[in-house]
Amino acid sequence: MAPEGHSVDQLLGQARTELSAASSTQELAEVRAGYLGKKGSISQLLRTLGKLDPAERKQRGQAVNDAKQAIEAHFAECRAALEGSARQRALAETQLDVTLPGAAPRRGHLHPLTHVTRDMVSFFTSMGFSVEEGPEVETDWHNFEALNIPAEHPSRDEQDTFYVSGGNLLRTQTSNVQIRAMTGRTPPFRFIAPGRVYRHDLSPKHSPMFHQIEGFLVDDRVTFGDLKGVLFAFAKHLFGEETELRFRANHFPFTEPSAEMDLTWKGEWLEWGGCGMIHPQVLERCGIDPETWRGFAFGMGIDRTALLRYGFPALRLLFEGDVRVLEQI
Amino acid sequence: MRLCLDWLAEWVDLPDAAELVHQLDMCGFEDALVEQTGPDLSAFRVGCVLEREPHPDADRLSVCRVDLGAGEPVEIVCGAPNVAAGQKVVVASPGTRLPDGTKLKKSKIRGVTSLGMICSVSEMGLGDEHDGILVLDPEAPLGAPVSDVIAAGPRVLEVGITPNRGDTASLLGVAREVRAIFESPIRAPETEPPEAGAPASTAAGVSIEAQDACHHYVARIVRGVQVGPSPEWLVARLEASGIRSINNVVDVTNLVLLELGQPLHGFDLAKLAGAEIRVRRARAGEKLDTLDGETRELCSEDLVIADAERAIALAGVMGGADTEVTDATRDVLIESAHFDPKTVRLGARRAGLNSEASYRFERGVDREGIARAADRCARLLAELAGGTVAPDRIDVRGSEVAHTDHVRLDCARANSLLGLELGSDEMRALLERVGIACESPEDGVLVGAIPSHRNDLHIPEDLTEELARIHGYDRIPTTLPSAVLAPAPLPPGLVLTERVKDAFVAAGLTETVSFPFVSAAEMEALLLPEGDERRETLSLVNPIKEEEPQLRTHLLPSLLRAARLNRARQAEGVQLFEVSRVFLPQGPGELPHEPLQAVALLLEDQTARLWGNSPAPLFFQAKGIAERLLNLLGYDALLRRGTQPAYLHPGASGTFWVGEKMVGAVGELHPETCSRFEIDVPGVALELDLSALLAQPAQPPQYREVSRFPQVRRDLAVLVDREHAADDLVVAVRKGAGKDCTSVEIFDRYEGKGVPEGKVSLAFRLVFQRADRTLEDSEVTPAVDRVVRTLLHRFGAELR
Repeated sequence: MAPEGHSVDQLLGQARTELSAASSTQELAEVRAGYLGKKGSISQLLRTLGKLDPAERKQRGQAVNDAKQAIEAHFAECRAALEGSARQRALAETQLDVTLPGAAPRRGHLHPLTHVTRDMVSFFTSMGFSVEEGPEVETDWHNFEALNIPAEHPSRDEQDTFYVSGGNLLRTQTSNVQIRAMTGRTPPFRFIAPGRVYRHDLSPKHSPMFHQIEGFLVDDRVTFGDLKGVLFAFAKHLFGEETELRFRANHFPFTEPSAEMDLTWKGEWLEWGGCGMIHPQVLERCGIDPETWRGFAFGMGIDRTALLRYGFPALRLLFEGDVRVLEQI
Repeated sequence: MRLCLDWLAEWVDLPDAAELVHQLDMCGFEDALVEQTGPDLSAFRVGCVLEREPHPDADRLSVCRVDLGAGEPVEIVCGAPNVAAGQKVVVASPGTRLPDGTKLKKSKIRGVTSLGMICSVSEMGLGDEHDGILVLDPEAPLGAPVSDVIAAGPRVLEVGITPNRGDTASLLGVAREVRAIFESPIRAPETEPPEAGAPASTAAGVSIEAQDACHHYVARIVRGVQVGPSPEWLVARLEASGIRSINNVVDVTNLVLLELGQPLHGFDLAKLAGAEIRVRRARAGEKLDTLDGETRELCSEDLVIADAERAIALAGVMGGADTEVTDATRDVLIESAHFDPKTVRLGARRAGLNSEASYRFERGVDREGIARAADRCARLLAELAGGTVAPDRIDVRGSEVAHTDHVRLDCARANSLLGLELGSDEMRALLERVGIACESPEDGVLVGAIPSHRNDLHIPEDLTEELARIHGYDRIPTTLPSAVLAPAPLPPGLVLTERVKDAFVAAGLTETVSFPFVSAAEMEALLLPEGDERRETLSLVNPIKEEEPQLRTHLLPSLLRAARLNRARQAEGVQLFEVSRVFLPQGPGELPHEPLQAVALLLEDQTARLWGNSPAPLFFQAKGIAERLLNLLGYDALLRRGTQPAYLHPGASGTFWVGEKMVGAVGELHPETCSRFEIDVPGVALELDLSALLAQPAQPPQYREVSRFPQVRRDLAVLVDREHAADDLVVAVRKGAGKDCTSVEIFDRYEGKGVPEGKVSLAFRLVFQRADRTLEDSEVTPAVDRVVRTLLHRFGAELR
């Protein structure tokens, strides 16, 4: 039965008071149910409307519905207020010690030489050079003879060589790749060949194994000036725009003319590598007619570049595998 | 090569030392430098003796008051009779380290305190004279370092010589380069000797039997020499070049070697059996006592100088003791010859000798300079050893030296090779600076006459290099090549290598690069069985470390070595990898196979973890890395048990297979391998044969439809005998669950309390999903029931 004695207004006022007094969302929901639930007083009032005559039903129905909506609105307001203050309390309670250390995912490290080699390779591939590879254990022919370094010639003194049983050797330079790549190919072409090389020398400045990058281009028009241009661009790519390069006369049996290049590093000239125009006899040995074709070739140490770039004081550090060193890069 | 700078300046005008060194460097000498030789005089100061008083207690001493240019004058006790007031003198103050190594102290000499020393030449390390103190020029600036005032020793020019330019290994050779660079004329000394007495041919005879190995032999006879010490200037010049003074006769031969680059040898004529020189091959087993005190057994390829009876010198390398010039020598036969470079080099190498002479013969001496050098030597012997030069040379020729007289240069081609636009007159002028006289038979062509000392110039490109060198490489304009655009693919091996490196790094590993040299013990630590191809290694004939002669067939020893080093340095949780070639020997003399290998090594981290749960067991970390990697590369790889390499733990390892090809392995290290490398924590190795992988087709990732409909997940745990491989159960579960099951994962494995002995609890998570509609529970439940029945039936598994 609807509480006859209560007017709608009274009910509404009472509901507002009770809703406002609720101290939790649960209590609030209970208060709401007391008015708007199935057995709630407003719901009961609505059920009594059917007994009234149409005119009164319309008027009273309007009033009850208005009250219902007002209670719903007040309920929503009170719930929002309660939830808001609950969130404020929760926020106030949670205090993460953000100064504790972060848990970074484990990070691996590429070797400094990999970084530098990739940088070099990407420079040259951007200029259309392909990458060629050759064996590290090599024949005397590919490492020496074909490159104009005959047996019993003083040029051999310049490269202390590791020999393997059976007569072959560990390549002393990546130039063996020149011979292998040029033989059987028709110019024009341009290649680079990064790789490990070996010299029988263990001293603070030398390592029995180190890395070189070789580059060569053969066509019918290339000049020493073009060689200089490519090397200038390469040096600037590696060491910065302000890098300067100079070319000194030198001797390499497989190039003619030959030069050694120096670059500026922290105000000093540093020896960087060797270069020159490929010797006609080398082209000829690879089956390329030197009357029609000519080419340039150059080579430099990769390790040295890594030392300069990262500030390593000694080559040895690159090859020991000490994680305290390698994980810095 | 080292040469006195002042001596060079007598031959050719020089710029200042810095400019000289720079230009020589730019023109082809390596690492040119000028060095001030002699003791360091910078600690000695110029002082002025203000007063000299006799010492109160010693007749021979005096007490001097000396002004050092700064501070109060000091009292110094001096014993030299020539000290006098007003002199500028050399003062060493207390604390100065003298050239003999002693440190000067303040001292009391017969009751008088001496605050330093006024120095004699010998105290400065400049000589043996003890005749009193050195008195300096009165103009010497007071207080200045003495090194600013006097030269301690000659300034020496040091240059590195490239193997093609043996002609520059002399004063004359360097002077020629200086002439080419600075265009200053050479003042070569007189060579013609005064002659008297009977002609040389009456004193000795020369014959060349080994015509192929001796192109030219000139002998000069000098009679009546007085063998004795050389004058000081001569000793100084030799010593500055690193040659020890022996006596005046030997020294003169060496002086001419330095001057002209032609090695000479003086024989004691009286000791030549038959007064005869024969240039011949040694007889097998023939013996020779060389000047260095060794007795050498010769072989039949050695070229010797012999007299009528025996070998008396190893030609071009070293003389013999029997015919050496001694104090008793009166008459000398001077040898100046041109020997075959290769013969000398081989002979020197067999003898283990590297002499000033062999160095020059190996690089080729001036074929037209033989007689001149003999003359110059005879002239100096007359001057410095009082000898009388016999008229005429004995001059005998062997086979002709192969050489190039003229080279034809197409000027346009030279320009186009260099990227220059030089006129032919400019080119001619440049070539003439290096002594190449040119003719121009037609427009744009030069024919250069190659000087006899330039045995390195044969083809147009050689002349082109001379042009570039003298004109200056830096003056060649910098351009970029214009080239045909063509694809520039990377080799598949390189692409794979780089992807593998990236994957390892993404998994937290650190890359190493190591030498390929390993010891027999290190290879043996891999425990490889007989017949394993990796047991056979290539060996170095000349390893850098005697105990590491082998080239690795596997990367693991190198990684274990690095791991040991890191453990020794207290690193925890070391995780390394290397990608490199290894060397698998083939037949004798054949090149080895060089397959690409990738190996990773993970050591357990035994320090407590700060955050998070303890990580998965090491083996599963490594296996996970391998699976992820193979998957990324597009391979569907399978792990099999029972085929693992010997260096892995037989109970905790397996191999990876793509199709029927084994491509790798993973496992805990065999405890024996570990202990041989002194690795003190458990470790796991992972290896991939990249060359084998390259041969297998990889599947690039392909799109599979994703479903719009919800998944149904079901977990189930079973107890099963622990002998069953989890993978077998997974396969069975997948099969039983039917085609709507999209994923089966093991999410828990437990044995221990609550699980019967010998059993293990495995928990599976099954995911069901269809692409075309929502699955009903009524469809999933029977599938799960089927799985449970299959597990029970095939593995005796019971549901928990």
